[in-house]
Amino acid sequence: MEIHFIIAATSSAVTALIAWALHRWHRASTASRQGIATQAGETALNQAQARYDAMSSAHAQQVQALESQLVELREDLLNRTELADRIRQELDDATRKHAAWEQQASRIINEAVRLKGLAATFERWHEQMTSLMTQNQDMHEKNQELSSIVRHVVIVSLNASIEAARAGTAGRGFAVVASEVRALAARSEELSRSYRDSLHRNDLTTTATFQDIQAGGKMIAASLSSVEALAYQFHNTLH
Amino acid sequence: MAKILVVDDSSTVRDEVAGFLQKNGLDVDTAVDGRDGLSKLKASPGIKLVISDVNMPNMDGLTMVEKIRGELANTAVNIIMLTTESSPAMKERGKAAGVKGWIVKPFKGEAVLETFRKLAG
Amino acid sequence: MISARAKESVERILRKAVQTRLPISSESDCVISAMATDTPVRHTHVVVLTISSMAFRLLLVLHFSESDAMRAYYLGERTDRALQEVFLEVSNLCCGAINQALQADFPDLGMSTPYVLDARCVPHLSELDPDYLASFEIRIGESVDLIATVCVCADAPIDFVADVDSAEESSGELELF
Repeated sequence: MEIHFIIAATSSAVTALIAWALHRWHRASTASRQGIATQAGETALNQAQARYDAMSSAHAQQVQALESQLVELREDLLNRTELADRIRQELDDATRKHAAWEQQASRIINEAVRLKGLAATFERWHEQMTSLMTQNQDMHEKNQELSSIVRHVVIVSLNASIEAARAGTAGRGFAVVASEVRALAARSEELSRSYRDSLHRNDLTTTATFQDIQAGGKMIAASLSSVEALAYQFHNTLH
Repeated sequence: MAKILVVDDSSTVRDEVAGFLQKNGLDVDTAVDGRDGLSKLKASPGIKLVISDVNMPNMDGLTMVEKIRGELANTAVNIIMLTTESSPAMKERGKAAGVKGWIVKPFKGEAVLETFRKLAG
Repeated sequence: MISARAKESVERILRKAVQTRLPISSESDCVISAMATDTPVRHTHVVVLTISSMAFRLLLVLHFSESDAMRAYYLGERTDRALQEVFLEVSNLCCGAINQALQADFPDLGMSTPYVLDARCVPHLSELDPDYLASFEIRIGESVDLIATVCVCADAPIDFVADVDSAEESSGELELF
């Protein structure tokens, strides 16, 4: 009976011990599980915290980046606005210049048209030239007449010499006069010839000069027409 | 009543051109310079075609054309220049003045007869 | 002031203009030969024409004498016409051809109307102080003798080479605008 009691006591003591050990083990493992859990919890929390911190700093970085981008964009906008203002200003200037050019083109056209009136001046020169050439012709004719008079004087003086010779001594004085007249006639003839030569020179120079003016005038009129045509074209491109 | 007016200070040209056209059955009148051409055109409203030289005394051909279109306000009559001038600048001036066509002398009648007939109506 | 090749070009242009415009028909022979400019005056009259440009002026002087041969050639059966009138127009065409040929190298040119003078004024051409003066004897057919003198006065240096042979004969055609 006592053994039974000792076995019982021992077994219960052992049981109690085992229970206690189990309990302690259970508690330890719970604690460690709890600890692990707590640790896990703590780790999770730390991790969460770390993630939050990382996100927070990333966010802060993003904000910073966005803010600096914003600054850049503002600067850019400012620049573009300045550029737009300058371009608008230049457009205004160009529009003003365009209007001025149109006005100038109109003035050039008017000038060219006015200068075409030069044709009237050339007509006037032509009339003056024709009158000059008529005068030249007149001088030729007068010179011809003088020539023929001089030739006649030579004949008359020859006849006078013949008559003087026939009159003998009485005609000697007359003969002298007759030969002087012939000498004068010869000089006149020479002068008339020289004058005719001058008239020819005059004819050529006058004709050449007039023709140069006439031809030159046509050249100018043709050039003016080109200018007028160009001015019209330019004026039309501005419209 | 004349349909065509030939304007040239050279009687040789007037004879040649007017003679050729008349031989081919056309009614032609002539003038000796720009001034004469203007007055003949004013006096004969039936003229449909003017053939004119450029270089003439008293009034050159292109000035005459400008006055025909301007002072005479005649924009209907067809005007052909027959001249030794061939410069582009002069042709431009003719075109701007209202000239319809340009022939550089010498005149070759056969080549232009049909066109002249059409332009004279 | 006028280069040698420019002078030679003017001569070529003159020769072609004379050959194509002075004869009444292309069947007539036309012989052109150079001659000295100081030979005594041979003819009675001359036709003078001027071509003006900004750089120079060119005078064309065609010497002729009214003769039965010349009347027969230029008037043919049209005895009612005056030889001078016909020859004036022929000279006008000849100078016109020179004008057209020069246009390739000189854009602004003007030509005068022709004028008849006494041939005795020809020796005075030298008084215009030309930079180029040359004369050529012309024989058309059997019996028509003429002389062509070209006189160029330059205000600026002239140098060009004319392309005479390939120049098209575009005269007579109607150009419609």
